Amino acid sequence: MAKPKLGVFKFASCDGCQLSLLDCEDELLAVADAVHIAFFPEASREYIEGPYDLTLVEGSITTPHDLEAIKKIRADSKFLVTIGACATAGGIQALRNWKDVTEFTSYVYAHPEYISTLETSTPVSDHIPVDFELRGCPINKWQLVELVNALLHARKPNIPTYSVCVECKRRGTSCVMVAQGIPCLGPVTQAGCDAICPAYDRGCYGCFGPMESPNVTALAEWWRSVGVDDRTLVNALRGFNAYAEPFREASDVYAQQA
Amino acid sequence: MTPAQVLDRAGLDRLIEALSARGYRVLGPTVSDGAIVYGDLASTSDLPVGWTDRQEPAQYRLERRDDEALFGYVVGPQSPKTRLHPAEVVVWSGEKTAQGFAMAPPAEPPRYAFVGVRPCELAAIAVQDRVFLGHERDAVYGRRREGLFLVAVNCTEPGGTCFCSSMGTGPAAVDGFDVVLTEVVDGRDHYFTAAAGSERGAELLVEAGATEAKKGQAKAAAGLLEAAAGRMGRSLDTTGLADLLRQALEHPHWQEVAKRCLTCANCTLVCPTCFCSNVEDTTDLSGRRAERVRRWDSCFNFEFSLIHGGPHRASPAARYRQWMTHKLAWWFDQFGTSGCVGCGRCITWCPVGIDITAEAAAIRDNREVL
Amino acid sequence: MSTPSKPETRTISVDYLARVEGEGSLKARVRDGKVEITEFGIFEPPRFYEAFLRGRRFGDAPDITARICGICPIAYQMSSVHAMEDILGVRMDGALRELRRLIYCGEWIESHVLHAFMLHLPDFLGYQSAIHMAADHRDAVEKALRLKKIGNDIVALLGGREIHPVNVKVGGWYKVPTKKQLEEMVPNLEWALDAATWAVEFTAGLPFPEVEQDYEYVSVCHPDEYPYNEGRLVSNKGIDVPASEWNQVFEEVHVARSNALQSKVRDRGSYHVGPLARYSLNFEKLSPRVQRLAAAVGLGPTCFNPFKSIVVRCLETVHAVEEALRLIDTYERPTRPDVPLVVKAGEGHGATEAPRGMLYHRYRLDDEGYILDAQIAPPTAQSQMSIEDDLRVVLEASLDLPDDDLQWRLEQTVRNYDPCISCATHFLKVEIDRG
Repeated sequence: MAKPKLGVFKFASCDGCQLSLLDCEDELLAVADAVHIAFFPEASREYIEGPYDLTLVEGSITTPHDLEAIKKIRADSKFLVTIGACATAGGIQALRNWKDVTEFTSYVYAHPEYISTLETSTPVSDHIPVDFELRGCPINKWQLVELVNALLHARKPNIPTYSVCVECKRRGTSCVMVAQGIPCLGPVTQAGCDAICPAYDRGCYGCFGPMESPNVTALAEWWRSVGVDDRTLVNALRGFNAYAEPFREASDVYAQQA
Repeated sequence: MTPAQVLDRAGLDRLIEALSARGYRVLGPTVSDGAIVYGDLASTSDLPVGWTDRQEPAQYRLERRDDEALFGYVVGPQSPKTRLHPAEVVVWSGEKTAQGFAMAPPAEPPRYAFVGVRPCELAAIAVQDRVFLGHERDAVYGRRREGLFLVAVNCTEPGGTCFCSSMGTGPAAVDGFDVVLTEVVDGRDHYFTAAAGSERGAELLVEAGATEAKKGQAKAAAGLLEAAAGRMGRSLDTTGLADLLRQALEHPHWQEVAKRCLTCANCTLVCPTCFCSNVEDTTDLSGRRAERVRRWDSCFNFEFSLIHGGPHRASPAARYRQWMTHKLAWWFDQFGTSGCVGCGRCITWCPVGIDITAEAAAIRDNREVL
Repeated sequence: MSTPSKPETRTISVDYLARVEGEGSLKARVRDGKVEITEFGIFEPPRFYEAFLRGRRFGDAPDITARICGICPIAYQMSSVHAMEDILGVRMDGALRELRRLIYCGEWIESHVLHAFMLHLPDFLGYQSAIHMAADHRDAVEKALRLKKIGNDIVALLGGREIHPVNVKVGGWYKVPTKKQLEEMVPNLEWALDAATWAVEFTAGLPFPEVEQDYEYVSVCHPDEYPYNEGRLVSNKGIDVPASEWNQVFEEVHVARSNALQSKVRDRGSYHVGPLARYSLNFEKLSPRVQRLAAAVGLGPTCFNPFKSIVVRCLETVHAVEEALRLIDTYERPTRPDVPLVVKAGEGHGATEAPRGMLYHRYRLDDEGYILDAQIAPPTAQSQMSIEDDLRVVLEASLDLPDDDLQWRLEQTVRNYDPCISCATHFLKVEIDRG
């Protein structure tokens, strides 16, 4: 059997998610043995045209050029996976979606007329059908290896969608919200990072986006009851997955009240 | 049970030493990151000396005591479950060979000795014994349970979310231990009355240098326990509760709880009797090695009830109802015992403070709506 | 990807610039043997970090700005926390300061080895990628991967994870490691010292084009230490100012020709940040071992050949490994992970040394600690005019190469800088004129 062809593409992003592949120091050569890395400009100047058996897409859609490019990538891909908060939720740059992009452009650039950008930063799935989404800012490299692994062996990837709390408890971390009064987004955030933040005595800030059945309102009301002001609450919800629907909607409600 | 004996702190140190010398990995309450959790004990100075915990729904705080009590607190977020039914365990692993497939035996677990286990935790171990050993023997649990040595400590100061009196599991331990201690701090007088619950427990007490308790000492301990029973932070009226819940499946209160419930699964993970797990098979990139890993799961997780066509407990109301009715009703049918031991962990560690005793009471108080 | 040449005009364009973190493109039009236009642009859509940082609280800056670049998040966290601490009037001392150096050592090791071996070395040896290279040089690639992992291990232990670590905060850390945790890394770091030394010797033996540029080197300079987090901004052509004067000395210009916001020395022009600048301005602060090693491989106390940056990266890796061992050896766990902060309004500056060069942050806060104004000058933006200078020189010297080889040589020239193009938030998509 020919090795599956891998293509890695990026849009607006920090490159951290695709870098996760290069951060698999112990597995990288094994991955390279198992798949044919046909297009991965961060790692190789080789360019082999599609179609690709597995396509990884990093980054959010923010320019008119992206809108066209992502459709072509979809057409060239058999199994397309978006990786990371930018690609799955619009990323931190989706904060523009609440603001005036013209003002943003003139704040940052001396010549806004050179800038070609859309009003919004949106997830890839807003524009094309996506076969699988790997969450995280950044993704967890072990989840990436697991996904590739599962696809290679035609089995279901083990990627949970429950809360960060499950990982905290498995790890033996005592709840920072209960024991230390630190506001934490863990109960409404999807697992996958291995609950790093609470293990470092800080609250989860939602890198992996909303969990499968997030009750954001209940958590937000609890935060308020322990003295978190609405501006802080809105900023917390408007993080790296700000534009993911459950976070977006709750943040809009509290932003009106703030 | 043997007649009451007494140990001082040095005696307790000798007891810990003797357990280590017998090859046990000795675990007990330790302070870590703002909570009391089970950690390695080399001596009594590793215990939360002079600490107490203040517990309320969704709130747990460590505070200093004005004495040097070793056990002046109740249960933390962890229970012996974390070691007997580990959060993550490789059930088996295997590798392709020229002949076919070779299985590697699972790693040998350590022999644990717990010092400072509470009566409600003993009750929880007894419940899990029924779950894991009652019908089919679960090898993971069984191998860890068999070597277990339990030094229990009775509760003289119940916490804000405790309700073991209601469940008949405390505050004094009746059985299920090798040694049971009651700590008495009376001014400068600080001792532990001790009793053995097994032969090896009795041997250990001898080795630790326990002496016969004076009459006043035994009486002081008994008095503390009696007072404790009346000072529970919570209570649960269990009269007819199982039947009531069986009939309350369409009660509107489930929807009310669902508004607050985060479906985060914390209650099930801190519960000392919840036993659900998920089994995942993984392969390596070469496809030569495979592993089966068992991890804690929860009835609050979507995939837990996923069957062909979707999860059959999709709504948060259905998931909370499943958990609570299982704990307080169906468990009797399944295992002949309550699934709740009244430890209060699900109340303290629910991030939004949902209180099983209050929710059960709300259903009882409004049973006429059915 | 090059177009056929005409007798008098030759247009070379590279749509995708591979093996840089982020995607760039360059275009050079050559007429009658003279380089007429050199354009270096980046396919990096604007993300507007400075704009959306406004209205966020000061404590958000290290987490948010880390996302500017997945390959050097520590640099962004360091420059932002130092700028915020400048406003709030606190300084890191003792173990809290040392841990910041330690996590930076981790990032330098990880980033330098990634760049030198995975992204840059294939150019020298004629491979499309490190994975292609591994077919013939598996040992070297495996050794480099292990070395890189040791750098990542430091970042992950102190920060929680390799990419976008979570533990750095304004005023210190969320949680500090135990001495035992750090000591567990020592055997690996001892191995890394040998491996990094090998890396220096290996890369020093590569063939280097004879190019010397009259750079204005700029780096952070500290009186006693090889620079990481603290020091003045110094150049070999007379700059010597505190970070707070960045805007007096440098300016960011939005150049229409290249459609990019880039930095220059006011009234002068291009400057160069990164390993070569640090090395040439701070040679005497390198450890004796590194100085001896440099001499042994024939490198003087300054280096103006951009292609030799690969050797300097490896020398800095040796330095970072040694420094990490020293920091672990002297570490004593502080009683508190942070210092108390009193929020106040003000303006602050932070300039630290990212693996790929000096990274400058400036913020203005209101009296509740919310950001009013933000400015970020990433190293790649600061070196961009210098990259263009190099491209011009290399192009003029290499015109007799066939198109494909020439294209590759130009790519290699860009990669000399280890450009982290995603971090250059001002780089924009280029409209390619295909001639």
